[in-house]
Amino acid sequence: MMLRKIIAITCLLAVPAHAEEGAFSEGSKAKSWNLTGQEKALFSAKVVDVLCELTGDCPAQCGAGKRQLGLIRVADDALVFPAKNGQPLFTGAATDLLPYCGKTVDVDGLLTGGDEIRAGSAKLFQIQRIREAGGEWTKANKWTKDWAKKNPDAKGKGPWFRRDPRITKEIEKDGYLGLGLAADKAFIKDWY
Amino acid sequence: MMRLLAVATLALCAAMPAHAAEGKRIEIKGELIDTWCYFSGVMGGPESVVGTAHHTCAMWCAAGGIPVGLLAEDGEVYMVLKLAGDDESNGGDTFLTMNNDTIVAEGMHYARDGINYLVVSEVIANEGIPNHTHEDFGVTPGNTIPDSVVDKVLEDG
Repeated sequence: MMLRKIIAITCLLAVPAHAEEGAFSEGSKAKSWNLTGQEKALFSAKVVDVLCELTGDCPAQCGAGKRQLGLIRVADDALVFPAKNGQPLFTGAATDLLPYCGKTVDVDGLLTGGDEIRAGSAKLFQIQRIREAGGEWTKANKWTKDWAKKNPDAKGKGPWFRRDPRITKEIEKDGYLGLGLAADKAFIKDWY
Repeated sequence: MMRLLAVATLALCAAMPAHAAEGKRIEIKGELIDTWCYFSGVMGGPESVVGTAHHTCAMWCAAGGIPVGLLAEDGEVYMVLKLAGDDESNGGDTFLTMNNDTIVAEGMHYARDGINYLVVSEVIANEGIPNHTHEDFGVTPGNTIPDSVVDKVLEDG
């Protein structure tokens, strides 16, 4: 059992983190998160609905919060895919980007992943700050406030993901491993 | 009439994005995964943030609006923009509840600027979660299962 734990911890520490400067790092004030392939990035881009951009299926307001949003970078016309906002709380970027649908903004954050995870793969983007051209910077941290408004009955102690009714329902049904409650019990007895 | 047709065509073109990409219909098998933890290394190596070990965290991330991806058998990752006809890729129920399931999907594949995207029209098969990574990694992150839950199971024997 101890050997398995040591192997697990070794694997968790095995991914190198590199604070690299990249083509769009100049002027960035993004904070390091020690991510794989990390590079700071500050650039101007148009906020788009990714599904619309690729397929031509274009509902109003970039899907009004339902869809993943992307960034068409002004400098090179590349579609950059944002995966994360600035909160260290398992929160994505689309909610923070939605108010800027169709607009050109400046974004500041971190690019991560890429070749170090999968050869030929582009890096994903984590947004830390955003502003309309010429406007004031605002932090990309609106997700949890939006969640609290949508889940008024889920108030309580602890982070949102411990109280989210959809998640707690899934865990009550299929357990933490997703294999059922009996599998959870057997795992806990074996591992802890 | 021709003028009307021309105006209608122009209006349609204006409504389309400038870069609508060429898609390719594919059938593909893979595991639905949390793309942020997979690519960022924030929780450790890629092999530790898939399957049962990372199932609860993957649900947290999906509910939080982090993009769900399909990790194909060849190691390629596809960002899923529509799943079984549901386009609520920003935290929707379908994306949340199918996390870490291994599925066979039919849909359209788009590639743009180094990222693969998948629009799944139909899930042909769903194997549940056969990737039992908890046997090697425990759970990631390590505090996924609250101490109170662990203590109760151990006390109950």
